[in-house]
Amino acid sequence: MQLPSVLLENAVNEFAKLPGIGKKTALRLVLHLLKQDTGNVQLFSETIAKMRQEIKFCQRCCNISDGDICAICANSFRHQKTICVVENIRDVIAIESTQQFNGTYHVLGGLISPLDGIGPDQLNIESLVNRIQKEETEEIIFALNPNIQGDTTIYYIQKKLQPLNCTATTIARGISFGGELEYADEMTLARSLANRLPVQQYVKG
Amino acid sequence: MPVLRFSNLHIIQFRNYQDQQFNFDKRIIGICGPNGTGKTNLLDALYYLCFTKSYFSRPDGLSMKEPAGGFRISGEAIAGEKKGELTCIVRENGRKEFSENNEPYKKFSAHIGKYPCVMIAPDDVQLITGGSEERRNFIDTIISQVNKDYLQDLIDYNKVLLQRNSFLKSASENQHFDEALLSTFDKQLAEKGQYIFSARVKFLDEYIPVVKEQYQLIAGKEEAIALKYDSQLLNAPFTELLIQNRSRDLYLQRTGAGIHKDDAEILLDQQPFKSVASQGQRKTLLFALKLAEYFFIKSHKGFSPLLLLDDVFEKLDAERMENLLTQVCVKEDGQVFITDTHQQRLALQLSNINADYQLITL
Repeated sequence: MQLPSVLLENAVNEFAKLPGIGKKTALRLVLHLLKQDTGNVQLFSETIAKMRQEIKFCQRCCNISDGDICAICANSFRHQKTICVVENIRDVIAIESTQQFNGTYHVLGGLISPLDGIGPDQLNIESLVNRIQKEETEEIIFALNPNIQGDTTIYYIQKKLQPLNCTATTIARGISFGGELEYADEMTLARSLANRLPVQQYVKG
Repeated sequence: MPVLRFSNLHIIQFRNYQDQQFNFDKRIIGICGPNGTGKTNLLDALYYLCFTKSYFSRPDGLSMKEPAGGFRISGEAIAGEKKGELTCIVRENGRKEFSENNEPYKKFSAHIGKYPCVMIAPDDVQLITGGSEERRNFIDTIISQVNKDYLQDLIDYNKVLLQRNSFLKSASENQHFDEALLSTFDKQLAEKGQYIFSARVKFLDEYIPVVKEQYQLIAGKEEAIALKYDSQLLNAPFTELLIQNRSRDLYLQRTGAGIHKDDAEILLDQQPFKSVASQGQRKTLLFALKLAEYFFIKSHKGFSPLLLLDDVFEKLDAERMENLLTQVCVKEDGQVFITDTHQQRLALQLSNINADYQLITL
């Protein structure tokens, strides 16, 4: 793409680095900013810079936070001895919006996958183990993606936790709520059959 | 017994075909024509509709008539009671679409097994003379067609194997390794591997006797052939093997034990088949292996698969040839496609066994 200004081109290239944004969309965004008042654009860029500079990661659970400890961890009404282990911050948001979980989180920052160069050292696993040891956590709930890397990560952490007195559970896998059996894929259906629930528990739950 | 039968085929810009339509109204279809007229390509087009890919492991792009021109194969088939209109389109940009009755598939693997098909091509002798990977692939393809879990387990196994190998590599680069992570991979590998192992044992128990029987039928006489499953897991459970091999694995940076090393050993008169057998005997064994596959699929699916025979008249003596044709064309009720360069020879052979056939000349 031939652009009349180097300044414009630099801005377009920066926008194009964002996920899901190509050259053309980047150009559209930049031209939009060009039409705005200088003050507005100043505010825009300052907000972003400030966000990146001042945001903190909770020292306890690695969630994003404004202070040293995030709002969820600081909330004394939440059950502090239950930890839900998730892959990233988006998963925290997803689980929070169910309003069904009243414990704390631990954000791993990824899943173990040596192929992608991610080993346990790159993830917040050690801090999780230390935390469980220190806080005498009663239950840890794995809410990770149901794939091979997710399984590897669960098995690995569980192995690390063996000497500790902490129950490890994982979220249920099976037919989605409101779904229809005939549209469920065979593997999910087979797994749901293998791990079926007693009706008593189902009604209560 | 219901069968799988194709009634027509329409090929556009596929290999040497520009735009051609074929109707198949008989059960046995002979295809003849000189070299390079597209006999094998016609069979491969049918194979495409059954397996969503080429029989000859080559990328889709190479099957286009013109580079980056795209191609389309469509055909109508009846599998048992069910009628299916199958379409396979590879677009100019290389994207492949596959649909059954105008309904596109999200996952191509869902199609495999619905329209079972067995192809025999001259290059398949690799199966006997080549490395163990050929035989594993062959066995895996058959089992996956009747056992969906097997395919999934195999895919998962290979994923874990890749992760484990990549881990072993980085462990040797960093001069230290995480014992807990390695045993996590071992656990995952052993779980999937043990299941695949038992599925292979079960399959070969059923499959090997049929191969022997077919071999004798085509040969017309007793020849002492033996087939044996060869796996490290026969000697020790997978978990133990992984522990035994651990230091070696770390040194070599790859996994040395497991079902990815399995093989099927073939013997003739107690000696390795590939070193003592003649060309004709190899070909006979190849047919026996493939026909046993045919019967295995038939007994598990409840209907006869499609049989595609490419250039079968080569290398077999007249008697073995007739035994083979009688076996597949007269005793069985499935649809058969046979190619040959000589029209008269093909017509003569098929009339000899009193088959009701249709001849397509290219």
